[in-house]
This record gives sequence, C-alpha cells and structure tokens, in this order.
Amino acid sequence: MNLTLPKVGPVCDRPGQSKTGPTALMRRLIPLFVGLIIIGAVAPCRAEVPPGGTKAGFVMRWNLDWQVAGGLPEKVLLLSLQGLANRNAPQLYIIHPPEYQWEITAPLFSFYERKHGVKFTAIATAEDALTRFATSAKGYVVWDPSVPATMNVAFTISGLEDALVVTPALIPLVEKHGLKPIDDLRGRYPGQTDAQIYTDAVARYWARCTHDAVMLMGGHVGAVRMPGMADWGVRQKMFFHDLSANPKHPEELALEQKLYSQLTPGATVFGWHSYGKDTEEQHTTLLSSYGLKMEGLHNLPNLSFNCQFTFTPGFKFTNHGHVALDARLTAEAKVYMAFVQSDSIGIGVWTKPGRGQLPFAWQVTMNWTKFSPAALEYFHESATPNDYFIGGLSGPGYMYPNHIPADRFPLLMKEANEMMTVLDEHVMEIMDNSAADGNVGNTDLTQETVDRYYAAFPNVIGFINGYGPARTRDLRDSRPLLSYDYYIDPRRPRTEVGADLNELIALNAKRPYFLLVHVRESNDVNSLVEIVKQLDGAVEVVPLDVFLKLAASRKTYTTRYQDPADPKHFPGYNK
Amino acid sequence: MRLLRPLTLFLLLASTVLAASPLAGRWRLDVARSTALDGWTAWDLVIGVDGSRVTLQHDMQWRATKRTATNTVDTAAPSVVPDFFRVEQRHMALYPAKGGTTAVRAAWLDAGRTLRVEADTPIEISQGQALMRIYEEFRLIEGDGALVLIELHSTRPSPLVYRFTRVTETSK
Repeated sequence: MNLTLPKVGPVCDRPGQSKTGPTALMRRLIPLFVGLIIIGAVAPCRAEVPPGGTKAGFVMRWNLDWQVAGGLPEKVLLLSLQGLANRNAPQLYIIHPPEYQWEITAPLFSFYERKHGVKFTAIATAEDALTRFATSAKGYVVWDPSVPATMNVAFTISGLEDALVVTPALIPLVEKHGLKPIDDLRGRYPGQTDAQIYTDAVARYWARCTHDAVMLMGGHVGAVRMPGMADWGVRQKMFFHDLSANPKHPEELALEQKLYSQLTPGATVFGWHSYGKDTEEQHTTLLSSYGLKMEGLHNLPNLSFNCQFTFTPGFKFTNHGHVALDARLTAEAKVYMAFVQSDSIGIGVWTKPGRGQLPFAWQVTMNWTKFSPAALEYFHESATPNDYFIGGLSGPGYMYPNHIPADRFPLLMKEANEMMTVLDEHVMEIMDNSAADGNVGNTDLTQETVDRYYAAFPNVIGFINGYGPARTRDLRDSRPLLSYDYYIDPRRPRTEVGADLNELIALNAKRPYFLLVHVRESNDVNSLVEIVKQLDGAVEVVPLDVFLKLAASRKTYTTRYQDPADPKHFPGYNK
Repeated sequence: MRLLRPLTLFLLLASTVLAASPLAGRWRLDVARSTALDGWTAWDLVIGVDGSRVTLQHDMQWRATKRTATNTVDTAAPSVVPDFFRVEQRHMALYPAKGGTTAVRAAWLDAGRTLRVEADTPIEISQGQALMRIYEEFRLIEGDGALVLIELHSTRPSPLVYRFTRVTETSK
C-alpha cells in the first residue's frame, strides 16, 4: 500500500491482494412486499424517502487529496457535516473521482437522479456547504493532526454532540457560521499511546454510543488518511477507533476485545483495520470470534445518504440464473471453468470494459440491502446475462467461519439466508484466512464448519471457498463445496497465468475437471478472454450455477477439509 | 590395485574440484530478468558442495513471511528426499503431498559448471495426487557472477527461467 499517493490502493491488503474488504453477487422473483418487509425490518435508517416525486439533494465533487497536510482536514470537517446533515433526511452526496477506490459514486449519483427523481444542487466549497448545513451542528470539536487518534475521538464526539470536526486552522471557518466550541482535544493526550487515548475515550463516550455497531476507522495511516466512511459513523453515533488486533499490541487488543464483547450480538464492525498496526487476517479473526460482521472499507462513501433509499417501486431482484434450481446436469469429459470476483462489486471491474464477454460470478455485499439498496439495484439493473450474483462473504458480512462461536452461527446464517432470498442468490461464498499466510497456505475450512454450512443452507446450489487457492471440497446430496484452484493476481503476466492454468489442467488429468478461478478485483475481463484462448484441450467457461450443477453430477474431486494437524490461527494468536 | 590408483586419484581430484565448485555460494534472484514468481518476492539460493553431496538451500520471502528449505542431492547416486522443496507458484492449488517422497537424480555437467537435477515429486491436487517430473539445470554464466536456473515441468508447457546474481560481501 503506497501511503504517499493520493490515489487509493488495492481494495484490501491481503498479501498479493488486502484486503479485503472487501469481498465479497442474484435472483428469482420475490414479491416486492416481501422484500420491503425484510428490508424494513433490518434497515437501520430512520426514514425512507417516499417513492415517486422529486426530492432535493446536494452534491459535492471531491478530489483525491487526502493528505493530512493537505486536503484531509477539510474532508474530515465535511464528512462530519455530511453525517449530521443526513441524519434526518438524505441531503448531501459526495462524488469521488473515478480513480477513487469506490468507483461507483458517479454512476450511483446518476441512478438517484434517474430512478429516484432526486434533483441535486451542486455545492462547490466547504464554505458553501456550511452555509447550507451548519444548522445541522450544535458546535465543533477540535482534533490535533499531530495526535492521529484524536481524529477518531473527535468523530465519536461529533456523533454524540452534533459537533463538526475541525483542525485549529478551520476554527475561523466554522465560527464564521455561528458555531461554538463543544470540545477541544488539543493538549488532552500529549505523549499518550493509542491504547491510553482510546481507554480514556471509552470511559468518556462508549456508554452513550450505539452498541449495534462500531467504527473501525483504520485503513491508511501516516501522510494520507482516508476516513470516507466517517459520515456513516457520525450519523449512527458509533464509537470510532483504530485499535490493533495484532498480538504485538496487547493493550490495544485487550481494549478492543472489551469493546467487542460489549457489542450487541451479531453487531457490525464498520470500516477497516489499520494498515499500520495489524493485518486483515488478524482483525477478521478477532471479530469473527465474537460473532461480529465486518463491513468495509474505511473509505466507503455516502452510506449516510444511501441508507435512506429503498428499492424503487416495482423493482425485484432476478438473478441471471442459467439453470433451474432443481435441475440435474451431466458433466462431459472436459474441463469446466468458472470465474468469480469477490471483494465487493463496488470496487471491482464492474464499470470497466469487457464485462459481459465471459460468464462471471460476482460476490455481493449483501448487507447493502440494509445500508445501500440503491447501489445493489444499480448493479442489478446494469447486469448482463453473463453476470451472476452470489452471496458472501462467509455469512451476512465478512467473517471467518472457523472462528464463529457455535451458538452464534445459526442466527448469523439465518440472516444471510434472508438476504440471499431477497437478492435471489443461490450460492454462498466462504473464506477463512485466519491461519493463512496472507491469502495462501492454510485457507481451509474445518469439517465442523463445513457441516454447519450444509445444515444452514439447505436450499443453495452449492458453496465455494477461498480467496487464494484452497483445498476444502465436499459434495452432499446435490450441493458441492468447491475451493478455488487458482487466483489470478492482476500483476502476473498473462502468459504465465495461461501456463499456470494449463499446468493445473495437465495435473488434474481426470475428466471432467472443475477449475474454479478467483479473479482479483483489479483484473479486467478483456485480459481473461485472452487467457482463455491460451488454454489447452477441451475447456468450457460456464456460469457458476452451471459449474456447480455439473460438479454435482460427477465427483472427480476429493473430499477434503482442513487438516486437524494444521494451525488454526495466524502465528502469535492469543485470544 | 594398479588400476585402482588412477581411479582413486581421479575421484580425489574430482572431489577437490567440486569442493571448490564455482556454483558454491549465495545467489540472489534477479527478479527483473526472471520468470515472474507468484507469491514470492525474494529468493536467495545457497549452493553448498561437499563431495558428491550438493545442498540447494532456498531462502524465500514474501512480505513478512520467510521460509528456508534445503534439498540435498547426490551426484553419485539417486536419492530419495522426504520433503522436497519446490518453488511453487503460490496461487495455484498445488501442494506437496503430505508424507510423500521424491526420487531425485543429480549430475554435474559441462566440467562442473552445470548441475542437473531431476525430481519426480508427488503433488496434492484437487483430484487427489499426481506426479510432477521436474528437470532443472543450474548453469553458471560466463564470468561466474551470474547463475541461471532453467526448470521444466512435465506438466507445464513453458520453462521457468530464473536468473541469479552472486551475493558477495560487498553486495549483501
């Protein structure tokens, strides 16, 4: 991760990848009222915009300057303003440049105009934004850029006290709009560690924050920080932190464990881990062990706006299934190949050329049914017949299932099942890198975990597992569980990718051979078309649902689970 | 007895030559001039020669992950290696078969400037297990400052070519 560049890097920091994230694509006809009832039951937003008619909104277009010494302080101010302005109604939306990690802000803006009738008025400057929305705040809180953790403490205060978050340099600007100081963190934490700062913040604020969610505002550290999800945390009155899950930081880990133990069962950890303190694997293992869900990334924008829209009247998810759910297919003596992209479709190749040329499965961030329904509708509206959506990642959010407490598993998966029903999804993608070396090594599921999935998802076509390659495989009744045999690193020369795939085909000599391929989000589909042309023998790229149905017909793969002798955790794990 | 003397002398000489093998030492992968590795970012190859035994130590690194593995081969006779290390492309679901043994043959070629290693190694695949036949030549390049490893797999349509540069006290 290059921390000096204003542009964002890979979606998550899984080695060879990160991350994360995101990961993590849908449908049969569901009566609309059923969808709305379910969404209404889970949606955390206070109000929904009534369908039809014209709504007024405001839009700002931001640049890519997230430098702490540059554009960050003003963006932090505006993010707190957005969270407060959007608390009772969706008023302020941010469009980011196409190079921003979440590339859908502009297409989604157009979608709101077109499908929800929102008439946006452009706001050019922070001054103009304050002129319009300063009354949403009761005052301001000052953070100290020389003590990075104070930004998160200030965001927590922002949500609780309706305060805008400013650096000292921005005080004149907010005072010009009649705002008074509510708190000032300068001088409160000199020389203190993050563990000490957050311990104090927990004592002061945690009891008043929501316990349904917490904001892990980590991600980029150093010269560039990118708290693009802060509006959501402010709106929902979340506790902000970037505590480490790395055993090398025992004080931070202990405090984070205390927080997580006090969250509502099944709560959500929004944001992303700190790139400077721990790893995606360490953090996801930790929250999974409390039965919590991860929803990232830290720079996911506009949730405070997006959450207040439902699906448009008459819309229903209908996945591009290629085979009937109860169909029985028979595999021929050839190589069957399926491509899957996880990491959440909002940060992937969706808007890039080439989509639709090959059958592709897309792992959907299912929680967006609650937080960002319009985004899901946008993706479904623009899907080609070759785009097939699947659920994940591992459950109703990003989790490592080997570590989900047994007593939490059924309820979590019930929630996942409900969302998959709404989204017309029939394949569950699973991932557990808790004992992996980045995204390679031991990425397998225990037999106990596999047993739980088969019990929890009786109606799926099948399961897929992994991020990098994995070797958990099973077939029970007509539902196969297959792991990725290959992961396409976008940096790997295409000729070598072709040679790798041909080697897998040569080694797996029985036919049919079921070759499941995970496509890292920054690959482009056009290059995959070229790779497929390099493959030897009879190879057919098929949609994932067809792939799984065929895999159910002739089991040429072994049944395998995580070796009981294998490590269950990353090195140094200490709960 | 008279016949044995020249043979003994030859073996002693050969042993002396190989002990001072120009391949011996630490070699570092020249990433830019090599086939792309997948999942490894650094690779030091440490070659040691002791009589007919040659140790091929692989010091691998990927981010914070460091792994060292050594294959010991014998140029005098075929050997069986219990944990043969293969520098794998890490994003392929190919794993050393648990408990598997690898038949290895090695020989010096080109007056001791090339080491040939042939290995039949069992690989765990999604369909069970398969045998991969690996052919390697470690060739010293003119000037003795560079080494090229050419690796062929019975299952791969193209060779893997890795170029190394000698690590000296000054280049460490």
